[in-house]
Amino acid sequence: MSESARSFFFAVALCVVCSVLLTAASTGLQRRQEHNMRLEKQRNVLKAVGLIVAGKPLVESQIEKLYKEKIKTFWVTPEGELVDAKKHAGTDLPLYVRLEDRTIHTYAVPVESDGLWGKIYGYLALENDGATVAGFTVFQHSETPGLGGEIEKEWFQKEWIGKKIVDKDGNFISIRIARGEAGEAVPERMRPHTVDGISGATLTGRYLTAGIRETLESYEPVSIRFRKNMIGVP
Amino acid sequence: MTPAPVQALRKSRSYKAVARALWEANPISKQILGICSALAVTVQLKTALVMSIALTFVVAFSSLIISLMRRAMPRNIRIMVEVSVIATLVILADEFLRAFMYDVSRQLSVFVGLIITNCIVLGRAEGYALSNPPCKSFVDGLANGIGYGSVLMGVAFLRELLGSGKLFGYPVIPAFFYEAGYLDNGLMRLAPGAFIIIGLFVWLEHTLLSRKKGR
Repeated sequence: MSESARSFFFAVALCVVCSVLLTAASTGLQRRQEHNMRLEKQRNVLKAVGLIVAGKPLVESQIEKLYKEKIKTFWVTPEGELVDAKKHAGTDLPLYVRLEDRTIHTYAVPVESDGLWGKIYGYLALENDGATVAGFTVFQHSETPGLGGEIEKEWFQKEWIGKKIVDKDGNFISIRIARGEAGEAVPERMRPHTVDGISGATLTGRYLTAGIRETLESYEPVSIRFRKNMIGVP
Repeated sequence: MTPAPVQALRKSRSYKAVARALWEANPISKQILGICSALAVTVQLKTALVMSIALTFVVAFSSLIISLMRRAMPRNIRIMVEVSVIATLVILADEFLRAFMYDVSRQLSVFVGLIITNCIVLGRAEGYALSNPPCKSFVDGLANGIGYGSVLMGVAFLRELLGSGKLFGYPVIPAFFYEAGYLDNGLMRLAPGAFIIIGLFVWLEHTLLSRKKGR
């Protein structure tokens, strides 16, 4: 056998062995990984609506129990009405609601935004006035660790709490991530709608700002109903 | 006086090889390899430990497998074969962490995947496993992994202690220290802190080594 044919067959054999190993590992571990992922999402919803406080981590069973007790998933029609999870249509959007005494305390919307290197997935929670941010979390992203990756850190996320997505007259503004620290450079009237950016991650901030705006716009019908106090639990 | 069996052990070639990997030619503090991950994962002891184990697993088994294949392997596609073996092992380690240690795997983020590009792993494959029998290569890989891990753990120990006042997540600095005005060193939680500590480690090792040689 010639030298190049030998190399070729060796490479093919190696590829087959490696792919079999990787496929076996990935299928074998898939169920556990999906379980971890689901738990991480639940943890993030709970954190966004303010049920998990930083520095007090919960164990698996606590998260599942708390989620079952307090969080209910509804779907939002294009008109902004809530429907039960069982009878939603294809165009409806999911909404995670924190219930306290059968009334809505906060609601979280899933955020799926572009990032610099890949998609950013997280949750943005709003209070039942439909205007004030209750929390923001990120559970999956591929931003650079130490730069854009800081979006998953506490210091960045706690800035979001209390910001307003509408101005005093009720016009929709969304939330903007500043270039670096917000501070004096941001005009007075924009400050309630601006959070500190991450230095070295201007692009991540820009992408996330656009993603948040897009998400909030699509949820505006239901947020308007919350602002007008026209919402009821189905 | 050192006992005779210990002296005999010290003269054996495998002892010398292991000692070299752990100390005289330590991958981080002597060869200055794998610095990137050493900066990134040493904020806490827990992440440093998991990273050390993952790297030790990869470098030991890649050395073993490559050494087993060294006669059958066509020389012209050598590097590709080595990288495929390493990449497969790294992905296996990553999948395993994602399934069983999800929170640590999130903290380590890309750095487990980046073991593929860690010079230590390919360096041992090229420099040792290709020309030595499987058993020795495995031990060499293990020793290099531990050599890497020991520096990682040393750096993480200092960074977690000084930066957060904790060890493995448990507070060790008594509360009255903080009441008396003691503050955690924020620099130790950032990458530059790791740079300084690794630099000190390198200095320490070079000083001790040159003193031993009488220079």
